[in-house]
Amino acid sequence: MNTHDRKQLILGNRVEELTKMETFLEELGTDWNLPMPLVLNLNLALEEAITNIMFYGYDDEESHTILIEFSRTDNQLTIHIIDDGHEYDPTARPDPDITLAAEDRPIGGLGIFLIKKVMDQVDYERKENKNYLKLNKRIEK
Amino acid sequence: MKLEITTSGQFKIVKVDGRIDTTRAVEFESSVVNLIDQGCNNLIINCLGLNYISSSGLRVFLVLQKRLAGQQGVFRLCCLKPEIQEIFDISGFSTIFQIFPTEEAALAGEK
Repeated sequence: MNTHDRKQLILGNRVEELTKMETFLEELGTDWNLPMPLVLNLNLALEEAITNIMFYGYDDEESHTILIEFSRTDNQLTIHIIDDGHEYDPTARPDPDITLAAEDRPIGGLGIFLIKKVMDQVDYERKENKNYLKLNKRIEK
Repeated sequence: MKLEITTSGQFKIVKVDGRIDTTRAVEFESSVVNLIDQGCNNLIINCLGLNYISSSGLRVFLVLQKRLAGQQGVFRLCCLKPEIQEIFDISGFSTIFQIFPTEEAALAGEK
């Protein structure tokens, strides 16, 4: 793997930073020649993961950085999201009941479920007081 | 995100262009809730120009559905692109909402 197949993005824990991510992903899609539906799914998975960290990851008012690393092979895209927020394993969260009627559906709780659905594989690890979330997705041309 | 609001018979039609994500969901919600507050009870969201939605956006659709259902109103969606339809399918939202292929069908209430 050469450096051309790796990219990284650093975000502050502010919602406005999502716009930066949106632009970054558009450029990544062009640079890596990724199909548009994949870029949209990637954006969705990342937005859900990152907003979760921003909204629930921190108690203090300090600024924190979230590191997102992208790497690819011919047919595989891997993303690592690393944050120094509370220990939180999104893969352990139970899936929502998507068969409930509108009046019974809770508002919210879909984000993590969407990540699992649009990605092929989601893995979590806690080490050195940081959360490591790894997302994998096959690149279909 | 751009919103265009028109009236057709007893329906207000909100045509949404662009993205409904975390940074834009609040604006989308307040604009549409404002319409309901002003007395709109029959609402169609035309999603032809909607090219991205996250859980923040889905949340607003659910809020609108609950609000209008609570006051015996009508809430319909139309013209979802395949990639948006997919997100609705995954979330189980396709069965919660009345979704129509065209605006005409949504107005008539006939699939």
